[in-house]
Amino acid sequence: MLFRALNVAALLLMPFVLAGIVQRVKSLWSGRKGPPVLQLAFDVRRLVQKSAVYSETTTAVFRCAPYVACISAFAAAAITPLLGGAPCVSFRFDFVWLAYTWALGRAALMLAALDTGSPFAGMGAAREATFSAVLEPIVFLVFGALCLLSGAHTLHEALALRLHDGPAWVGWIAVIVAWFIVLQVEAGRMPVDDPSTHLELTMVHEAMVLDHSGVELAAIQMASAVKLFVGCAVLATLINPWAGTDSWRAVAANLVGCVFAAIAIGHVEVLSARVKLRAVPSYIVVALVSAVVALLAAAWRAEGVG
Amino acid sequence: MSTTALLLSLPVLAAGAVAAAALRSNRASASVAIASQALGSALVLSGIWGVLFGGDVIEVSWVWPAPVESVVFHVDGLSAFFLIWSLPMTLLGTVYATAYLRPYYERGRHGAPHFALLNMVALSFVLIYSVQNALVFLLGWEIAAVAAWLLVIWDYRVQKIRFAGFNYLVSTHVGLFLLVAAFMLLHAHTGSMNFAGFARALARPSESRAAIFVLLGLSFALKSAFFPGHTWLPRAHAAAPAHISALMSGVIHKAGLFGFMRFVQLMGRPEEWMGWSVLGFGVVSAFFGVLYSTTQRDLKRLLGYSSTENVGIVAIGLGLGCLGLTWGTPSLAALGFTAGLLHVLNHALFKCLLFYAAGSVSQATGTVDLEKLGGLAKRMPHTAGLFLVGALASCGLPPLNGFVSEVWLYAGLLSGSGASAQSNIVLTASAAALAFSGAVGCFAMTRAFGVGFLGNTRDTTLSIGHEAPLAMLGPMWLHACGVIALGLAPGFALPLIAAGLRPFQLPLSAGLGLLPLDTFVASSRVLSVALLVAIAWSWLRGLDARRTATWGCGYGALSARIQYTASSFAEQIARIFVTFMPESRRERLPTGYLPRQSSQLATHHADAVEQRLFEGLGRGEDLVARVAGQISEQPRVAFAAALIMLVVVTAGSVFAAAGGP
Repeated sequence: MLFRALNVAALLLMPFVLAGIVQRVKSLWSGRKGPPVLQLAFDVRRLVQKSAVYSETTTAVFRCAPYVACISAFAAAAITPLLGGAPCVSFRFDFVWLAYTWALGRAALMLAALDTGSPFAGMGAAREATFSAVLEPIVFLVFGALCLLSGAHTLHEALALRLHDGPAWVGWIAVIVAWFIVLQVEAGRMPVDDPSTHLELTMVHEAMVLDHSGVELAAIQMASAVKLFVGCAVLATLINPWAGTDSWRAVAANLVGCVFAAIAIGHVEVLSARVKLRAVPSYIVVALVSAVVALLAAAWRAEGVG
Repeated sequence: MSTTALLLSLPVLAAGAVAAAALRSNRASASVAIASQALGSALVLSGIWGVLFGGDVIEVSWVWPAPVESVVFHVDGLSAFFLIWSLPMTLLGTVYATAYLRPYYERGRHGAPHFALLNMVALSFVLIYSVQNALVFLLGWEIAAVAAWLLVIWDYRVQKIRFAGFNYLVSTHVGLFLLVAAFMLLHAHTGSMNFAGFARALARPSESRAAIFVLLGLSFALKSAFFPGHTWLPRAHAAAPAHISALMSGVIHKAGLFGFMRFVQLMGRPEEWMGWSVLGFGVVSAFFGVLYSTTQRDLKRLLGYSSTENVGIVAIGLGLGCLGLTWGTPSLAALGFTAGLLHVLNHALFKCLLFYAAGSVSQATGTVDLEKLGGLAKRMPHTAGLFLVGALASCGLPPLNGFVSEVWLYAGLLSGSGASAQSNIVLTASAAALAFSGAVGCFAMTRAFGVGFLGNTRDTTLSIGHEAPLAMLGPMWLHACGVIALGLAPGFALPLIAAGLRPFQLPLSAGLGLLPLDTFVASSRVLSVALLVAIAWSWLRGLDARRTATWGCGYGALSARIQYTASSFAEQIARIFVTFMPESRRERLPTGYLPRQSSQLATHHADAVEQRLFEGLGRGEDLVARVAGQISEQPRVAFAAALIMLVVVTAGSVFAAAGGP
């Protein structure tokens, strides 16, 4: 019970911290001090107090989409082992829930973008939809490989796999590589999307939300920060040597893992340029190859054992 | 009692058809059709109620002169599963038709034959699903096919629609020939025309069984529009009135899946290659169906391709079920068939809803071309909202019904219950393919709804009429309720699915053991409550909010023409999959610094498979035409048909002779 409460507490705090850490890493590399780590929390508080302006073109879809995105991000977080142990909710094949609630949030934002009638928002939505079409099979290959490697069928059990032999190590590393790229795409990070660009033509996620303001914008920012945390937590649980247990060292290891993941994302973001939008699918193919390698490693292992 | 009710539904539906055709007034024949279908559905429901909830199988037979021998009415759980929703959904389609056809009445069209044919469709369901005699089954099959053809060409004065109808007619009859060939082989082996007799030849593995399986599989695949037998489908769906597209896609073509399951049940334990090939067929159909749905301009064509995707998803489930039967893992078999059957029902619910909404768009605007539409949500809020529900369900998003069947499928594919490591790998890869079809389906549906209903109307000359009348909205609302109810309380569908599994001697609990529903459904419910609160809250906030123009990123003269179009939305994904969707362009681009001429660009993404298929067929057609040309007295079409049938039957018989008794 205590650890579940901790999960909830982490869910309320860590998204802000991780987004701040990524920002801080970028600032330090470019020789600036950067905004406070909790800047996103201040932003969200400021936005919540503001009233929103809606475009005359838009309908109710535009107004409720940010909330749908936010709720689905939290729904996905509910089944994720945020602190390495048991998540708030868990059921068999709950990773399908994770992938599909993310898809729900994505669909809501894409519809909101098309609702504005703005060419830039439509462009962002089309890019997002295309990338996700290539990404989704990878997510399931990763989960499938994890299931075969661990023999478990819930996300937190599958992530807490213990490794003993050669092929499994290969699979484990391939899974980490694939998931890192999935995380970059889903959270809208370099080298797939540049969250700090000012040119609409080069945007993906930012272009979709150009017209949102006030609480709705806060909800969208919250949603993407929660997604970032969920993605980092999955990665951290994979690396966490004490994952799968409700213990303080598992919690600590997972939090440290999350911070390291955020630092890694910040480094990639500051040290690499965004790849050309047409080349993004090719970048995602790297993840596809890793996921296939993981799957083959899982098979190899099963052959060896059985 | 229940048997009498079931049998009585046949004369009721037939009499309704005759009366509807005979009446002069459109209103009267519509009323007769609706009343007789309502009575027929009630009779069928009361007839199968016992079977559905665990009662005995209904079985009656009459001796009939050769070659029929005996007509056996045999209604087991599988029949009952298909009967329980097929007839009420046809009834809803008929109700929808009364309003949809009204503009045609004003132009002097007479609706009576249309309603009579809808009754015949309902009648054919009773025959197909409950009679276990090959000849009567074929009769029902043919009634459904011809009635559907005549219903498709309602607007027969348009040449394109006649062509689409003919295309369908030919395809469905190629399927019929295959089916006849399979039945002839079965008759040759068993000397019986009854399915129970067929079971004798199907129970043991043999080469003739393999040949029969291939023939049957191809026939049912053509019926249900599996890839690559799907080519007739987008055309027919674009040409037909909306309710006919809905009924064909959602209800009539599920007969192919029923036929497949019936023969798997007769086989008992299929061989491993059979399950794999069905699974492979399903994956390929889901992949190509969804891919082609991304580039369609015509909303109804788009929905048609999405049907190919969805039967593919069902086939993945059925293939998994067959593999489970082969490997002797009842949990996998039950899970696969559960997912397949549930998706059949789910697809019927949301696809009819989507087609009905598309019909109300076409009635209000006179077009379903996405490049012209846009901004409909403000003028037709009910249609738009209902289309959105259907579209999200079709993407398999939580908390709607498509999600439940997809989770079940993933559970089966990723459960690791394959017989070997290799088979687990293939199953996991199939799960990835399913995920691909889900994400691309999401792409297609977002595009359809976002471009068609949101933003501003792209063609400013388009006049948008009124919201659909109650007779059209009513069926849509009912379907939407079904979509939501099965998403939040899939428990309602479980007794139906348990009935569908009973003939296979599979307990539902075996499948549920792999995926217990309680937590998962509770999560869906919590999610839906949160979503409802959010929707209500955002609606309240919208009441007195400040409004201004969309931000044009510094450009002040935004117009409807500047919006992202349906083609530009699909441009990037079409470029990735250009191998399967070659682009044809017609362009006149501006030249020089101050271009004087107006410029044009038209792009079209062809269905590469269809193109190549027809190229191949075209060569074959030339050959047939040369042969046929030499026999000038013969009616050529009949000759060509006979030739095809001869080839098929000969090939089948050779196979059979090789492995026959």
